[in-house]
Amino acid sequence: MAGDDGMEPLERLLNLVGLLLETPIPLTFEQIRETLEAYRSDNLDSAKRKFERDKDILREYGVPLEMAPTDAWDVEQGYRIRKERYYLPEIAFTPEEVTALFVAAQGASEETAATQGVRKLLYGADGGLLAGDGGGPLIAGSDARIERVLAAADAASGHRRTRFGYRTSQGSVSDREVDAYGVVFRGGHWYLVGLDRERDAMRAFRLSRFTTETEDLGEGSGPPQGFRAIDHVEAGPWHPSGEDRATIAFSPAAAVLAEGSFPGAARTQERDDGWTLFEIPAADEQALAAMVLQYGADAEVIAPGPLRDEVIRRLEAVADG
Amino acid sequence: MAEGRRRSATTAERLGRMLVIVPYLVQHPGTSLDAASRLFDVPAVQLRKDLDLLFMSGLPPYGPGDLIDVDVDEDGCVWISMADHFARPLRLTRQEALAVSVRATELLATPGVPQAPALAGALAKLRDALGADTLGDASGIEAAEAGRAPAHLGVLQGASAAHRRVRIDYAAASTSARSTRTIEPEAVFASAGHWYAVAWDVDADGERLFRIDRVVSAEPTDETFEPRGLEGATRPLYTPGEGDTAVRLLLRPSARWVAEYYATTDVRVRDDGSVEATFPAKQTGWVARLLLRLAPEAEAIEPPELAGEVRELARQALEVYGR
Repeated sequence: MAGDDGMEPLERLLNLVGLLLETPIPLTFEQIRETLEAYRSDNLDSAKRKFERDKDILREYGVPLEMAPTDAWDVEQGYRIRKERYYLPEIAFTPEEVTALFVAAQGASEETAATQGVRKLLYGADGGLLAGDGGGPLIAGSDARIERVLAAADAASGHRRTRFGYRTSQGSVSDREVDAYGVVFRGGHWYLVGLDRERDAMRAFRLSRFTTETEDLGEGSGPPQGFRAIDHVEAGPWHPSGEDRATIAFSPAAAVLAEGSFPGAARTQERDDGWTLFEIPAADEQALAAMVLQYGADAEVIAPGPLRDEVIRRLEAVADG
Repeated sequence: MAEGRRRSATTAERLGRMLVIVPYLVQHPGTSLDAASRLFDVPAVQLRKDLDLLFMSGLPPYGPGDLIDVDVDEDGCVWISMADHFARPLRLTRQEALAVSVRATELLATPGVPQAPALAGALAKLRDALGADTLGDASGIEAAEAGRAPAHLGVLQGASAAHRRVRIDYAAASTSARSTRTIEPEAVFASAGHWYAVAWDVDADGERLFRIDRVVSAEPTDETFEPRGLEGATRPLYTPGEGDTAVRLLLRPSARWVAEYYATTDVRVRDDGSVEATFPAKQTGWVARLLLRLAPEAEAIEPPELAGEVRELARQALEVYGR
C-alpha cells in the first residue's frame, strides 16, 4: 500500500539506505529531506515522525545507522551509514562450506535468525546447488528454546553477568548469579558455563532447567587463561576419563542398545549363552547401578563386586516392596 | 482483524529481504525469479513486486541515469544493474551470527553428520571475518565431541535419499524384544543426541519413528517407494495415540527430572517437594524399567497394575543373578 506521499515505504527506505551509504559527509535531517522527495510532501513535523519510524526500521534490521558531526566544529549532527560497518566482509567459502551452513541453519521452526544470517552468506555461492536441496532439517535442535540458547550464547560471548532461576537435578530451585563464559552442546542439551558468584566456583547449568529468563546484570569477569567450557560439563556418571571399569553382560537384544547408551563402552567377548560382555567406564557406582537397572532382566553386572551387590540389593528392595 | 491466513510481510521484513536478495541477484545475473523465490523463501509474486519498487529507487539526484535498472526477461530471469551500492549484503547482526554459531555447534556435536568438516571450516571463517565486534568472544560456544555415529546411520540415510525400502532388525526400547520389519525411511534426523528415522512400516502398515542406535541390522532392498510426505525433524518425538495409557508417577526430588524429560500432561508439586507427574505411554514396559531404575525415589500411582509390573520385573532380573 502506498503512503500518503504516494510512494511505497519500501521504496523510500531503499533510497534512504542508498543515500546514507554513498554520502561523503553525514547528512542532517534537513538535508535528507531536501534530497528525498518522500519526506518533502509532508509538513515538517510529520516528515520528522516518518523519519524516526524509518530509522527504527533500519536499526531493527541491523543497518548501522550512526550520528556524527557534519563538520569539524561539531555544531550539527548528521546521519550516515559507514560502508565498512554495513557491508559483509569478503569471505572465501568453498561451495561445500556454504552448503554445510545452509544445512545447519535449517531449523525445526520455519524462519529463524540463523536462516536469515545464512541467506546473507549466499551471495557469493552458487544458489543452484542449494535450491534443489529439499532434504529438510537434519537436526531438531535441543530441549531448550532457541531464544534461551541465544540469550545464553549472547551473555557468554559478551562476558556478561547474568541472573536466572535454576532447578538442580535434585529439584531444588534457587536464583543464580553467574559470570557467563561459555555455552556447550552435549548429548542434545545446551549448558551455560560460568562462575557462580555465590559459590565462587565454576559451574555448568543445563538450559532446560532454567526456571526464568536470563536477566543481564552488566559486565562480568572474563574467563581464566586456558578456559575451555567443555571441561566443566560432565559427560555423565560413566565419564570415560576415569580409570575404573565395570564388566556388564547384556542379552542379545539389549547389547545394541547398551552400546549406544554408555559412551566409552567396549565389547570384550560373547558368552556361550549369546550374551555380550562389555567393559564400561564407571566413575559413579550409584548412577551406573541405576542405568543398569533400567535394562531389567537383560543385564547382569559381573564386576566389580560392590556394584553387583548394589544392583542385587536394589532389586531385592523392589521385589520385596 | 487477522483472518487466519498468512500475515503479509511488513515493510521492515521486505526491506531486510531486499538488502539480502538484491546482492545475490547482482552477483548472479540471469537468476530466475523461481530460483530466487525458492532460495530465499519468498513468494515469486511478492519478489516481483518488490523488484518493481527497487526499479524506482536509486541515488541522488534520481535522474533516469541514477536509478537502479531491473530487467525481468520473458523467461522470468532477473538482470539488475546500476546497483553497485547494493552489490554486497548487509553484515550479519550479532543475533544472526550467534544463531548460525549455535545451530552449527549443534550439528558439530552430532555424530555422523557428513557436512561436519566443511561446517567447522565455514564457522571458523565466519568468526574470523565478523570479528569480535559482531560476535564477541565466540570461542566459548563449544560442541562436545560428537562420539560414535550409530552403525546403520549411513545405510538409512542412503536409503532415505534414494527412496529405497530397507529390511531392519529392531530392538524395541520397552522390552528389548527384537523384530524384523520392512520400512520406507522418508526422513533421517537427529534430535536430543539421537538419530531417528521416520518411516512407513510396511508390515504394520503405519507410520513409525525408529531410533537408529536400536537398529541391529539394516539391509537395503531392490524395491523403491513413493514418499508420503511424513514429517521429519519438525515432528514431536512422541505422538499421542488413542490406545495410550495415562501413567501417573510419584517423583521424589532426585527423580523429578523425569517430569521435565518426558512430555507430561499434568504435574503437581506436593508440599514435601515431590511431584506427581502424568504422561501418556503407548506401552508401560519402558515405564516399569524406568521405575526399577529410580526406586525408591519414584513410585507408580496409575495404572494400578504398574507397581506389580515393576515388582515382577525385579524378580525376573534377580533370576539372572541366580537369586
